[in-house]
Amino acid sequence: MNVSAVVAFLYRYFGSRRIFLLLVTIGVIGAGLLGFRSLTMQENIAAMLPDGGRVAEDFRLLQQAPFANKMVITVSAKGEMESGDLVSATKILADSLDADLFTDVGSGPDERLQREILPWLLAVLPNLATEEDLSLLESQLDAAGVKARMEETYRSLIGLEGWALKGLIRQDPLGLHRLALEKMRHLNLVPGARLVEGYFFSPDGRSVLLVAETPVPMTDSAGAEKLLVAFEQAARMLPDTVEARLVSGHRYTAANAQAIQGDLWRILSVSILALAALFLIFLRSARAIFVFLIPVSVVCLAATAVGLVYREVSAVTIGFGAVLLGIAVDFGLHVYFALRRGQGDAATLVGKVSRPILFGGLTTIAAFSVLLFSDLPGQRQLALFSVTGIGAALILALVVLPHLLPVGARPQESVRVSSPCGRRRVILSIWVILLIFGAWQAGRVDFNGDLRSMSLVPKDLAADEAKAQQTWGKVRGHAMIWSLGEDLDQALTVNDGVFRKLSGHPSVDSLVSLATLLPPRAVQEENRRRWREFWTGPKGEEILTAMEVQASQLGFSSGAFSPFYAMLEKSPLSVTPDSLQDVGLADMVSSLVADFDDGRVGVLSLVPETLAGLEAIEEALEGLEGARIVAQGRFAQDVSASIQYDFTRFILSAGLVVILALAILFRRPRKILAALVPVVTGLVMMLGIMGALGMTFNLFNIVAAILVIGLGVDYGIFMVFRQCEGLDRSTESAVLVSGLTTLAGFGALVLATHPALHSIGVTVLLGIGAAIPAALLVIPALIREPVR
Amino acid sequence: MKLFRLFLVLTVLIWPGTALAAGADMDSVLNRLQEIGGRIETLSSDFSQEKYLSVFQEMLPAAGRFYYRKPDQLRWELTSPVTSGFVLKGKQGRRWSQAGDAGERFDISREPVMKIVAEQLLAWTRADFDRLRTEYDMRLLKESPVTLRLDPKGGAAGFLDYLQITFAESGGHVQQVEVHEKGGDFTRIIFHGTAINQPVADELF
Repeated sequence: MNVSAVVAFLYRYFGSRRIFLLLVTIGVIGAGLLGFRSLTMQENIAAMLPDGGRVAEDFRLLQQAPFANKMVITVSAKGEMESGDLVSATKILADSLDADLFTDVGSGPDERLQREILPWLLAVLPNLATEEDLSLLESQLDAAGVKARMEETYRSLIGLEGWALKGLIRQDPLGLHRLALEKMRHLNLVPGARLVEGYFFSPDGRSVLLVAETPVPMTDSAGAEKLLVAFEQAARMLPDTVEARLVSGHRYTAANAQAIQGDLWRILSVSILALAALFLIFLRSARAIFVFLIPVSVVCLAATAVGLVYREVSAVTIGFGAVLLGIAVDFGLHVYFALRRGQGDAATLVGKVSRPILFGGLTTIAAFSVLLFSDLPGQRQLALFSVTGIGAALILALVVLPHLLPVGARPQESVRVSSPCGRRRVILSIWVILLIFGAWQAGRVDFNGDLRSMSLVPKDLAADEAKAQQTWGKVRGHAMIWSLGEDLDQALTVNDGVFRKLSGHPSVDSLVSLATLLPPRAVQEENRRRWREFWTGPKGEEILTAMEVQASQLGFSSGAFSPFYAMLEKSPLSVTPDSLQDVGLADMVSSLVADFDDGRVGVLSLVPETLAGLEAIEEALEGLEGARIVAQGRFAQDVSASIQYDFTRFILSAGLVVILALAILFRRPRKILAALVPVVTGLVMMLGIMGALGMTFNLFNIVAAILVIGLGVDYGIFMVFRQCEGLDRSTESAVLVSGLTTLAGFGALVLATHPALHSIGVTVLLGIGAAIPAALLVIPALIREPVR
Repeated sequence: MKLFRLFLVLTVLIWPGTALAAGADMDSVLNRLQEIGGRIETLSSDFSQEKYLSVFQEMLPAAGRFYYRKPDQLRWELTSPVTSGFVLKGKQGRRWSQAGDAGERFDISREPVMKIVAEQLLAWTRADFDRLRTEYDMRLLKESPVTLRLDPKGGAAGFLDYLQITFAESGGHVQQVEVHEKGGDFTRIIFHGTAINQPVADELF
């Protein structure tokens, strides 16, 4: 019993049990709908990145970048303004921000830091002073050096501001605070800022930096819009002479959501009009609407199937999957045209058309199965989604749909595609020329792995980003060096090694690091021991003696510097993240120290991201176990390489699978090659035109390319069947209408302003736009079997 | 060094608040002084300074000269026993720590300690009691010559005990300032040879 006979039998079997069949179908689709509603969707682009290897880890580490999850607000004077007035305006804005949406709003260091940092630094200096520091002290504090510093101390005390300095001078008569403050030098996360009245001011004094956190997730589009409205309301409280700009991932989310909403209206309008026109021209039957219900029904079933296998379902995957199920509508169209325009009884007509439909569907399923072995979890989900969806669509199209469609009511009125000999030569010549052009230009297409290029960046947001960067430096554009360890101390040890190798390195202009302020335990112990030995040793005694002589000569009393001597005798407690937090460095610790889910601890250092710099840093850190460089620019390159690898692998694997399936189906090389004509033409022309127009190929293009492959193969199979296996002219109509509906539905996405939707639209428009004429014109020109 | 100064200023800045009314008599006295102070265009004066600090075995004498020009130009220099000082014109300033030293430039908005010191000097010179009231509780100790006691408000009391300011008999300028710290240390500055609204050379600022 062959496939046609089975399908014909099923048609006859359910012919008398239609009510039962429809009830079961409605029940299954209803269950799918319920399952779909209970799915947990994850709106995370990570699903579209490899879940193992370097790219995945880099992505996780990039999420930990300082400021990555914070909102940066720049309050600027429109003209000249006193710093005090700008501070007042900043306070007005900070107070006006909705406290539920904007948490931890602040500028400048923690108040405790300003009050406590210097005495604290002096107290813990024995933990932090390195051998080089002591050598420096030794060279600076000879007899002349001690004399100079004591005289400076004297001058400070006698000056107008002396009363304010007295306490610290008693603790630090030799000016060791210079050494201590050096330890803070590598903690400037905002390179362009200076501190005025406790606020971070820009170098030109016209802007103040505010940093805020929010409980609104970066991917929550509704929450992001609410957040932006709240910000605008607060900004309206500012005087006319002051403006405020917010830079945060939420603005991207809101802008993208708004763009997609706007796009959807435009695209839906165009699509509906185009589909209505196709409906009126080619279908003209109310019951043809059931054809279009197939993809809608199978989306729920397929999503539920994915939900049964995976704990979390990627919303991106489902979105892509829904696009791919555009393939499903074609099965219904072929059944519709076969029944509507075919000659014979319905069971025979359905049975006859079932072979190409089934083979087309199975070939597509085979192609998608390749994605089950993808490195990208999102693509694995996509494969399962598509395989299940297309399987369900085949069943619905071949078993259920024929009972819902009118039979034999319309006469044959196929599209004329027969090819006389002369015309055939012309067609083939043009085709070959276009293929050569496409193949030539296809080589110019670059793969773009930058995730940011796949989202919309409105001009005002780009301008605000640029202005923030101009004002504050690249606060979000640093390359990160993670020092990873099983525990904090191990991570700090690696971090110490990173600092030693990069501090003073010619390729590192500036280095943000905790290493000078938070060395590992062993280094702190060693520093304390060396400090003690220094001050109890001959050099220390020499310095102290010189100091006593100078103090006496300058008239200081005997107990003037007792706090200093007490500090030298006391062994300080080690510096820990907790002690840093206690003196007001909590933000710094939370920005530069991270606990990961796998139990490891990471300590972060930041360097400016330049290509040459990264290479030099990589070379410098070679062999330092636990040190890992992560940079946004390089990450994009890695993703790009990963996409290129994945695409190549998929195309080759899917191509092999499709060819294998076609070989089983047709068994003759000529027919196999002919069936591949739409796919090859679609892909080559798509890449060729993109290359000629200087467009890049991204993640979304890949998924849309799969649609081109799936549909192109189907067109090929149908047209080869049409030419060789005795299918009637309705096949041409079905191929044409299914191609046009795809263009109407997905090609219309080319009108979208959102880059992702636009990418899908471009791919489908170019790929399917080339595959349709290739199927309808080139295949008949290549296979000269008599047209019935 | 910036953080060092920042720390100092923060300590000083802890003097918040507003002055309490000290009675009608004091108000009329202050109004009179304020009116006279408002007429000062320039002021130059020698001063002698006595520091009574526990960190020194003996009282520390010093001397210097002070210049003011309306609205915001100051020059404060010690001439003995060391040479040091600063000059301020608006927000921009220069300070030096020894004779002949070209000194270093500074911006008052980035030098909180200098900002406080300058604001205090300006407030005393101009008899700007409105400003002083925001930071101190004022008491009139004596009407002739006018002697005021200024108690810092809030947490600053842990650092500074009080200020005592004595005006000249004419009421035209401050004659003596005493800065009393917790623990008994204090500094006395006595102004003499004060010239009001006399020409002051531009190059001094």
